[in-house]
Amino acid sequence: MESTTVPILLFVVCALCLAVGTVMAGRFFGPRRSTPVKGMPYESGMDPVHDTRRRFDVRFHLVAIAFLVFDVEVLFLYPWAVASKQAAQGDPARGIDLAVQSQLVSSREMVFFGAAAFFVLLLVGYVYDWRKGVFRWR
Amino acid sequence: MLELFAIPLVKIVVLIGALMTVTAYLVLLERKMAAWVQDRRGPDRVGVPLTKIRLFGLGQPLADGLKFLFKEEFTPRHVEPLLYTLAPVVTLASALAIYAVIPMGDTLPLKIGASGANLSMVVAPGCDVGLLYIFALSSIAVYGVILGGWASNDKYSFLGGLRTSAQMVAYELPLGLGILGVVLVSGSLDLGKIIHQQADSGLWFAFTQPLGLVVFVVAAFAEAARLPFDLPECEQELVGGYHTEYSGMRLITFLIAEFMHMVTVSFLIVILFFGGWHFWGLTGSGPVESWGQGILRIGVLMAKVFGVILFFMMVRWSWPRFRFDQLMSLAWKVMLPQGLLNLALMAVLCEPFIAERIGSRHWGVFLLISWAVALLAWLVTALVQPSGPENSPQRVEPSI
Repeated sequence: MESTTVPILLFVVCALCLAVGTVMAGRFFGPRRSTPVKGMPYESGMDPVHDTRRRFDVRFHLVAIAFLVFDVEVLFLYPWAVASKQAAQGDPARGIDLAVQSQLVSSREMVFFGAAAFFVLLLVGYVYDWRKGVFRWR
Repeated sequence: MLELFAIPLVKIVVLIGALMTVTAYLVLLERKMAAWVQDRRGPDRVGVPLTKIRLFGLGQPLADGLKFLFKEEFTPRHVEPLLYTLAPVVTLASALAIYAVIPMGDTLPLKIGASGANLSMVVAPGCDVGLLYIFALSSIAVYGVILGGWASNDKYSFLGGLRTSAQMVAYELPLGLGILGVVLVSGSLDLGKIIHQQADSGLWFAFTQPLGLVVFVVAAFAEAARLPFDLPECEQELVGGYHTEYSGMRLITFLIAEFMHMVTVSFLIVILFFGGWHFWGLTGSGPVESWGQGILRIGVLMAKVFGVILFFMMVRWSWPRFRFDQLMSLAWKVMLPQGLLNLALMAVLCEPFIAERIGSRHWGVFLLISWAVALLAWLVTALVQPSGPENSPQRVEPSI
């Protein structure tokens, strides 16, 4: 465990240092001349109208919700995908086969059909979303 | 102590240094390529400073970096200062930190420390959740972009940020589904093990999962925001998208991070689908025995990655950009079902009690079925095209 956690943490710290360093470096060089026009939001040279924090299209919200649903469902598939591979001949059993051996689940087929049922549920949700027009952008 | 801190630290420093340099020169390569495609010269002036030596423009990246460094770092008054500064930091740090689990080769027969194992070419060797880690960090990178767009408090940035969020979110699903097929067949989330699997069988996953490859590559283009999917910052419509209000070093931080994403997904495509460091009859498939073999594996991996990067660049200069509704319908109505189909197909073909019956334990049958299904899926998609607005040129009758 330690052999992977420490390097990754070190890497994250180094990456953060580099990123902060790059952004900070700009502060020490270069001129600083502020003018009122420079401080305005860029709107192709026109004087800005309205505030930016306004309503935006609700479709973005729908996409976000659809993503949340599907992404979580796909995440649930990861453990199954990792476990479902059979060990090579001669190697000790792993994943689902190990679970079957230690009688955590009754058989491999049952796991397969369980995953298939999950898959069908996901498909039902997908078809429902499609029919409701969540994916329609006009 | 030595093994725990010193070796990873050396690897990290070397890797980050190499990555930054390579990124800088890849930008030059991309500009040269653009010039070649558009039949012009491209950057060829900057060479050794204060002399007339041009060196084919090899000084250009350095000059660009210096120019950015000495530009005015301007914080407009209308932004949210904290988030505005945080956004590029988050983006670059997460884009870099992904490389902690990406193998740059196999191992080198250099024994350091008590364990006596070969020196691994990964910063964190044997990370069991490698792919999940990559996924997590690439999602954080999206946060950086959205934060930048939101904190800028500018309409162009805001629209760019919104589009980015919708696009990234939509293409993360096909990306995950493409990966899931590979995970299912290889039974591991560790990139090193996935390469070894392909090397052992000699059948890269690109051959056994053509559908998964297509879905993954398209999603990778979208996640890296490369043309034809560069909606987040399309210059002609949104000026610069989420980085409209950025300047100086903060801007280049965004640009580096974005470019680095492309390099990352190139690595992922090669590792997941094109066998990583493996090449038939050249690199062998067992553990590394000699220096030559170890270096050859690094070379093969880098050559493949370079090939994929060239492909990315060629696509950029030969494909027009999608419209936003086309982008979304491609993600949800084409890529998502095909990713699901690929996953279901792999699950069925690998399940022992089904495999016994249809004979998909034999690799020939496996290949036949998966290619047949892939072709069929694309035929069906082409026939039942998702209905979009008619956009062929039309003649408008003048109304009197």
